[in-house]
Amino acid sequence: MSDQPITNLSEPRLASSWAAATGSWLPAVILLLATIIVWEAVVRIFAISAFIIPAPSEIAQSLVAQWATLMQATLVTAGEILFGFIVSVVVGIAIALVIVRFDWLGRALYPLVVLFQNVPKVALAPIFILWFGYGLAPKIGLILVIAFFPVTLSMLAGMQSVDRSLLSLMNSVGASQTQILFRIRVPHSLPNLMAGTKIAATLSVIGAIVGEFAGASDGLGYVIQFASTQLDTALVFAALLLVSVLGIAFYYAAEILERIVVPWAPKFSQA
Amino acid sequence: MRMEPIRAAGGRPAHIRHDDDLISAKGVSVVMARQLVLQNIDLAVPKGSFVSLIGPSGCGKSTLLKVLAGLVNPTSGSVSIAGLSPVEAARKRMIGLVFQDANLLPWKNAVDNASMLLGITDKSLSRTDLRARGQEMLELVGLGDSAHKRPHELSGGMRQRVAIARALALDPAVLLMDEPFGALDAITRDSMGQSLLEIWQRTGKTIVLVTHSIDEAIHLSRHVHVMGIKPGRITESLDIGLPYPRDLSVTEDPEFVRLAVQLRMMLRASHQPGGTS
Repeated sequence: MSDQPITNLSEPRLASSWAAATGSWLPAVILLLATIIVWEAVVRIFAISAFIIPAPSEIAQSLVAQWATLMQATLVTAGEILFGFIVSVVVGIAIALVIVRFDWLGRALYPLVVLFQNVPKVALAPIFILWFGYGLAPKIGLILVIAFFPVTLSMLAGMQSVDRSLLSLMNSVGASQTQILFRIRVPHSLPNLMAGTKIAATLSVIGAIVGEFAGASDGLGYVIQFASTQLDTALVFAALLLVSVLGIAFYYAAEILERIVVPWAPKFSQA
Repeated sequence: MRMEPIRAAGGRPAHIRHDDDLISAKGVSVVMARQLVLQNIDLAVPKGSFVSLIGPSGCGKSTLLKVLAGLVNPTSGSVSIAGLSPVEAARKRMIGLVFQDANLLPWKNAVDNASMLLGITDKSLSRTDLRARGQEMLELVGLGDSAHKRPHELSGGMRQRVAIARALALDPAVLLMDEPFGALDAITRDSMGQSLLEIWQRTGKTIVLVTHSIDEAIHLSRHVHVMGIKPGRITESLDIGLPYPRDLSVTEDPEFVRLAVQLRMMLRASHQPGGTS
């Protein structure tokens, strides 16, 4: 048992164990650096053509040379991801709430949602381009159909796992279904929801790139496609690097969101 | 205090009033999934009394408590709580429930958990009113200084105290408790029982406790009803004549030991299916 509020529990640990933290990161960093050095050496020694495998130094050069273009493309893609992610989370939560609150509608909707999950969504990209053109809309649509499902599913799982005796307690005092939903089920589902949201953040990045592959005039996906037709493989890798950075950034943003929304969740409660 | 004469049966101490029965169940039977869970239960709980239901697993003691709470409808028979049906009584906040699991909301601190049910039933109360009531109840259960702790910062016993505070916040006429200390270690369990006795004597609530502990039943209650299995029914009733206030030293009382032996024999008999009902 601790007298401290939980939010403070992890902080002293982080500060005091800086050495331990760097110690745990160190092997990964060393491996990464070694990989880059070996990569560079192999490309140079065997004189591999830059349009098959560019050396890390060439990727870096491309990154610097095309910096302005790449940054502009990154901003476009990041905007699509953010917008699409927010829409996915909002729609995902709304579907979950409807399924739980309105019994018959839920029974109608849930099997269809699961059925739809089995449609290969990447294959929808050309149709979305056909319907919505080359702008922002088809990307948002594609991110939505790819990313809403884990949000809906995780929130449903959280809302339906409320302890029966807690529900008995609520029923005994005559609590309405709406009260039970918003006072118990929704807050109870937040740790699950945040786990689903992290998956949605990762899927949103995929959705945006797939959308740009299918048809775009801007963004990192477009840069990758354009550069590969130009055999500028170094630029493809530079853009890939930035996509990865975006993916990591969105994942950690979702994790920070999780800490803010559910500081009381069991995973943060362990001293 | 143990100088008073002890009477084994029918002994109702005069200082507690028992004008009428607060709870009365008549001929209650419950059929669930084609199984006779409870058969022809007659139970009378005097106002202000402390009654325990004890019996082997599957004797339907938890179901009986749920019937009294209005959570399960009896297939036949009737239950009245101060002249009302259990559901009506629950809506009027006359019933406080405590289960084995405290079921606190992990996102709320102790004081907000304690006032949670009250806030749902009485929307006229402001946040400040609710907090004040929650704090008052936490003090009653001995957790006045833990108001701002979240459930995971509390021990199992403390969590259960918050659950009791939450039930008491409704100011119910009767406290229905289903093995409230069943998940606690022996030492915590003893001190929780003692606290419950003190709360009972201070508030004058009527308490019905489901337990499978012989010592707990005798330590706390005035009347013990022994339940048997197949079908679930009340097989014996025992009045505990030990005078209140009781503390843990009561367990060394010869009368306590005698009652424990008697209750153990009754329980052993109740493990046999069938028999008279």
